Amino acid sequence: MSEGIWLWLTIVAIGSTTILTRGSFILLAEKARLPAAWHRALRYAPAAALAALVAPDILLDGDALQPFNPKLAAAVVVLVIALRSRNPWLPFILGMGLLILLRKGLGW
Amino acid sequence: MTTAFRLGAREGWRDFLPLSVGLVPWAVVTGIAMRSIGLSPLEAMGMNVLVFAGTAQLGTLPLIATGVPLWLIFLTALVLNLRFVIFSAAIAPAFHGHSWARRLSASYLLIDGVFAIGADKMLRSDDPEWRWGYYIAPSVWAWCLWQLFVLVGVLGAGVIPRDWSLEFMVTIALMLMMIPMTRTRPMLVAALAAGLGAVLLRGLPLRLGLFAGIAIGIGAGFVAEHWQQRRANA
Repeated sequence: MSEGIWLWLTIVAIGSTTILTRGSFILLAEKARLPAAWHRALRYAPAAALAALVAPDILLDGDALQPFNPKLAAAVVVLVIALRSRNPWLPFILGMGLLILLRKGLGW
Repeated sequence: MTTAFRLGAREGWRDFLPLSVGLVPWAVVTGIAMRSIGLSPLEAMGMNVLVFAGTAQLGTLPLIATGVPLWLIFLTALVLNLRFVIFSAAIAPAFHGHSWARRLSASYLLIDGVFAIGADKMLRSDDPEWRWGYYIAPSVWAWCLWQLFVLVGVLGAGVIPRDWSLEFMVTIALMLMMIPMTRTRPMLVAALAAGLGAVLLRGLPLRLGLFAGIAIGIGAGFVAEHWQQRRANA
């Protein structure tokens, strides 16, 4: 992990994206309109970015594809619960519960 | 403080109040997640105030943890925050004529919930003071609520045993943000293509596989939307 001043620099850099995106039109171009093509592309960016962050974490063990692993099992449980329940805590409790059980209880 | 401001503030706060409860679990999880990758309580709260965007905070944690170059972390945060460009464009006319300081605070405080609840009402009002009150009251409320419950998570994380794989909460949180987005077919295609792309291209240097995956996902979403429209028109 980055330490000290570098970590703070990283945090400031991440924070600058908050102002850049949220302020884009409010600060600079209140009367401008976002071109339609941009609007369409931007809509896909967050879902694509989230999937690109999640998929490697649940499908890879180190750098190798590992289709059967505790994280993937927990992720499947999270997916099922998220689609069926509106309780915001439940996916965290059951997902983490299963992962801890598989890793510590069964040594997987 | 004018009457219009106070009326707006009261109405905005009342409209947003029920939704704001939904921030609580996210805030607690974000607090725990920041501690799980090794941030100190001060660093975690510093990040929380400076960034104030849950998706960007959670999404960049795995990258900070593995010591990825700064510009890649910056780009990832930018992509995760891109939806705010859409919100900013939509809500900007409501701040027309307000001072720079007000527009800067409005930008920093712009979050999904307040936008979703209030953008329409604000754009329909022709009283600038009412609009300002209607926006700023729930936004400041959300900020306080978020900081408070992230602090709860940050301090609470210390009691949880170290070997509980807490970093997986980040993955769960990212999944839970993604799932409601993928209710339409093109969005689902975009997510699946991005995930698959990032996995298959993991060998690229500098974690560029992540960005290749995102680009593939956006492209796939575009194509899927195009096909869907063609089918609908046929």
